[in-house]
Amino acid sequence: MTNWKALAAAAEPPVPENLLPDVIPALEELEAALRVLERDIAPETLLWNGREDEE
Amino acid sequence: MTIAEIGAALRSKKISVRELTEETLQRVADANQRLNAFITVTDVAARLRAAVLDHELARGVDRGPLHGIPIAHKDNIFTRGVRTTGGSKIFADFVPDYDATIVSQLNDAGANVIGKTGLHEFAYGITSNNPHFGAIRNPWDPERVPGGSSGGSAAAVVAGLVPLATGTDTGGSIRIPASFCGVVGLKPTYERVSRRGVMPLGLTLDHAGVLAATVRDVALALSPIAKHSSGYRPVAHADLRGMRIGVPENFFVERIAPDVMLSFRAAVQTVAALGARVTEIKLPDVEALNVAGRIVQLSEVSALLARYLDRRDEFGRDIQVLVEQGRLIPAIDYLNAQRVRTVLVRDFSKIWKHLDCLMTPATPMTAPKIGEMNVAIGTFTEDVRTAATRLTRPFNVLGWPALALPCGFSSAGMPIGLQMVAPPQQEDTLLQAGAALEDAFGIVGRHPPT
Repeated sequence: MTNWKALAAAAEPPVPENLLPDVIPALEELEAALRVLERDIAPETLLWNGREDEE
Repeated sequence: MTIAEIGAALRSKKISVRELTEETLQRVADANQRLNAFITVTDVAARLRAAVLDHELARGVDRGPLHGIPIAHKDNIFTRGVRTTGGSKIFADFVPDYDATIVSQLNDAGANVIGKTGLHEFAYGITSNNPHFGAIRNPWDPERVPGGSSGGSAAAVVAGLVPLATGTDTGGSIRIPASFCGVVGLKPTYERVSRRGVMPLGLTLDHAGVLAATVRDVALALSPIAKHSSGYRPVAHADLRGMRIGVPENFFVERIAPDVMLSFRAAVQTVAALGARVTEIKLPDVEALNVAGRIVQLSEVSALLARYLDRRDEFGRDIQVLVEQGRLIPAIDYLNAQRVRTVLVRDFSKIWKHLDCLMTPATPMTAPKIGEMNVAIGTFTEDVRTAATRLTRPFNVLGWPALALPCGFSSAGMPIGLQMVAPPQQEDTLLQAGAALEDAFGIVGRHPPT
């Protein structure tokens, strides 16, 4: 999983340290959930474009 | 009074647009210190416009049902020559040089702009507890939030200050305040109402819409702003006979406050009694919609706000946190969240083979207290923002039209909201169902005591 703390420190400008306790937990939660969901994406799946089903 | 009632009074000359405007401005002046619903009141322009609209009526020029109707616009919607703050310190003095399309469409339909309503900073939150312009108060209980981000619009409508207001909705920002304040709010189909001149937030999630006291008033306002409008207006006794309405058996009925669940179950019984064919339905992965939607929103908003990072001290703390989260999300994750969205839209769309409409609670709880960060729902404690958007955000991700309307009151006297959802472009179905329900509930249009 991503080392969000390191990423936050490396960002330009860096993420202020005092925000990290509120910034990181949601990112960890979303990353874990996305990793599961993206396993099921077929290679040919395109980006959502707001149009109704084009199939 | 409803828009139709005001219109009848204007046309029968019981009242002029000028008198109506003066009464409206007086109500706003009396209530705004208590509610903080308006950031800007455009009294001079409203008076001038009222005279023009009166003159038109006298000459037989009738622009239709909105002629002379007072309206307030959310303050992230451009109004030419009138400052449009987005609820932010950064745009505190920004004055657009053109009207948003939704504003010009409503102007052309005869609405008279009374002012600009307050909102959560950047429309990026659900409390409307704004660090720069002050907390907006819920007219049912001033210690509670009105919801957000269109909190000022909902508060202004339910307090009877204006019969109609515009709003925007990226994760629930029309429907959440509608639910918390007990008004009707419509988030139309994605891109059915123009976003030109609306300050962008979530580039592929933003919707513009309206809030009013009744479903029928919402229908009157939708007509001039919706692309390909049918001009549908619910009949006097709208019914639900034969309408296939789905009631989720998963997600939307989990972690719901008891008062809300009680009202929701009663609404389901009402729908059945009105002749609808009610079907319990197990929906695909709704949590996945929220995950994809949150990643997309965080990324898109930060892409827009990153240019102001050198002024981030001028953001409220909640906005600072969200902006920092968004700029750390890798592009790959944003793109895959959008691809997950493609798959989910395809999966969810299958439900419309068997249904005309879906009904859910609008929010899992009633309005929290101002400053409350977490909310207890039964034995479960949840962050207020996540809880409030849990049932609304999925329909921003799907892009489907969704209508929030009041369906009851909690034991503490706070409004409870119902959400009706339809397939893309089927706003007429929502309006028909909503009108039948507002007749049956008999509580829509109720105002708090002043």
